[in-house]
Amino acid sequence: MFDYLNFNLLAQLFINGILFGTMYGLAAIGLSLIFGTMRIIFLSQGAVIILMAYFCYWLFTLFKIDPYLSIPIIGLAAVVLGAGLYQGLFRRAVKMEDKNITLLIAVGLMFLLENLMAVMWTPNPRSISTGYTSSSIPVGGLAISFTRLIGFVMAMLSTAGVTIFLKRTLVGKAVRAASEDIEAARLVGISPHWVNTIAFAIGIGLCGIAGIALSTTYPFDPYFGFIFSLKAMIALALGGLGSVFGALLGGIILGTLESWSSFFISGGWADAVGYGAFLLVLLFKPEGILVRSVKKV
Amino acid sequence: MKNIKPIGGVVLGALLLGLIPFVSDSEKSYLVYFLFLTFCHIVLTQGWNLVAGYTGQISLGTHAFFALGAYTTAMIWRADLFKWGDYYFDPVTMILSGLVPVAFALAIGIPLLSKLHGDYFALGTLGFGEILKVVCIKGGQFTGGPIGIMLPSSVYTTMKPHYWTALFLALLATGVVYFMTKSRVGLALVAISEDETAASSSGIHILKYKVLAFAISAFLSGMCGSLYAYYLFQVSPEGFLILRWTLYPVLMCVIGGSGTVIGPIVGSLLMTAVFTVASIYLPGIHPIFSGIIIILVMLFMPNGITRLWKKGVQGG
Repeated sequence: MFDYLNFNLLAQLFINGILFGTMYGLAAIGLSLIFGTMRIIFLSQGAVIILMAYFCYWLFTLFKIDPYLSIPIIGLAAVVLGAGLYQGLFRRAVKMEDKNITLLIAVGLMFLLENLMAVMWTPNPRSISTGYTSSSIPVGGLAISFTRLIGFVMAMLSTAGVTIFLKRTLVGKAVRAASEDIEAARLVGISPHWVNTIAFAIGIGLCGIAGIALSTTYPFDPYFGFIFSLKAMIALALGGLGSVFGALLGGIILGTLESWSSFFISGGWADAVGYGAFLLVLLFKPEGILVRSVKKV
Repeated sequence: MKNIKPIGGVVLGALLLGLIPFVSDSEKSYLVYFLFLTFCHIVLTQGWNLVAGYTGQISLGTHAFFALGAYTTAMIWRADLFKWGDYYFDPVTMILSGLVPVAFALAIGIPLLSKLHGDYFALGTLGFGEILKVVCIKGGQFTGGPIGIMLPSSVYTTMKPHYWTALFLALLATGVVYFMTKSRVGLALVAISEDETAASSSGIHILKYKVLAFAISAFLSGMCGSLYAYYLFQVSPEGFLILRWTLYPVLMCVIGGSGTVIGPIVGSLLMTAVFTVASIYLPGIHPIFSGIIIILVMLFMPNGITRLWKKGVQGG
């Protein structure tokens, strides 16, 4: 029954999965930073990504700015937005023992953004169509979509950038220290608010990149964000908390899983396969499948 | 003596509320519908309160159990399971609709709760809801797909039975939470939420109590789902498996004050009123205000209205 299968088809599915999965990965890195430093489940991550996608759409339709040229504008706007979100919404709540509060603020923000976008841009799906949207690059019998490939490159570059920032710079090291042990970090003189602001700014900055990648490859509507948040959570759970590359890899695994299951089973069931994998990971290896041994208290 | 007064008040209040459908025309007046919705919210909110407010586990799966209850009712009716023909407000069907979610709560609750804490538990329950949604949409004949299962709406005559059943369920849910908190179980639950390790070392079987609270919460949500199925006559993913049924209870509970018996009631009444007024006067944009209200309440009174009032009394 599988005689229509050949290597090319499988490879094509695999590549599509990877290319789409990097977007989950980008969102997951942001979540991982925010969760790592502040223990916030930032459910509105997806809504922010969609907001950035709309921003990119606006720049493109109103000012005729090419999506890829808008990277610096949107990146900067996203970083500022991230810092603003932390200072305005989460600064007080982060200190509280009860984690319901930050979760609910994130939920409230998601509600607000989704519906604000629905009022501003109508709930109809939008997409950006440029001269190169449908072009693809042939590689040995496979067709690789140009926009998705750029999305992949953008994801890789920003992951590398974040990794270098976290490993090499003093501020980055402070962020890592705070996510490992906030008390100890405070003892050595790291200001938690400063670190949290940085983590939030980077996390939302990555949303900007993911938003551009999304808006150039797929149609999007205001309510797509929640599903995206969930997928990013799954990617995070697959990859394990606290590792930037783990989160990206988790996203890629999820993307590949979905791409294959939507082909072999059917489109709608692909989601269930993703969530099923998520539940299994939570049940049997909650520290993530890519982490060898972790003791998280 | 101290305990008799509040119980008398509750009985009197319940009787007065029970009389409302006689005074106000249940088909025309908005009041009956509004109170019906409020009671439904109280049931769900108390269920969430029991798990989150008393054991500290944030569940985001209320809508899943709510929908499971509704689907159970719809399927029993459609399949004519007991050969009775009519399952409209059938107590056996309603109780079964509560028990099916309990079975699911046990199946996912035991493994999830034995390994995961707080945040992961929230994600796990959320994932469960999403899987259920895909299964219902893709279930074909069995679940009716995206349209869902239609129930014979010809049996509908009046809103009164819905109102009284909702009132009864709201009282039941509040009563369950009240008596659980007054008993040894409640003490154990509070001890778990305060400090799990300390509770465990004092001989409290943590998993048992957490799962118990989770199962009771699922039972209440399932019953409420069954009741709502009798109201809508169409059990579909769009009507039941939406996040609204999880977020509203969470919101109402936290705004009222989670971990208190009275908080969910205050929160449900207030927020149902706010949402109703907003949806009448600001159609289309009212969810924006709901979002803003959630954020503002969390920023400025994160412990809930009831505690604010208590603090005021103690301080003054």
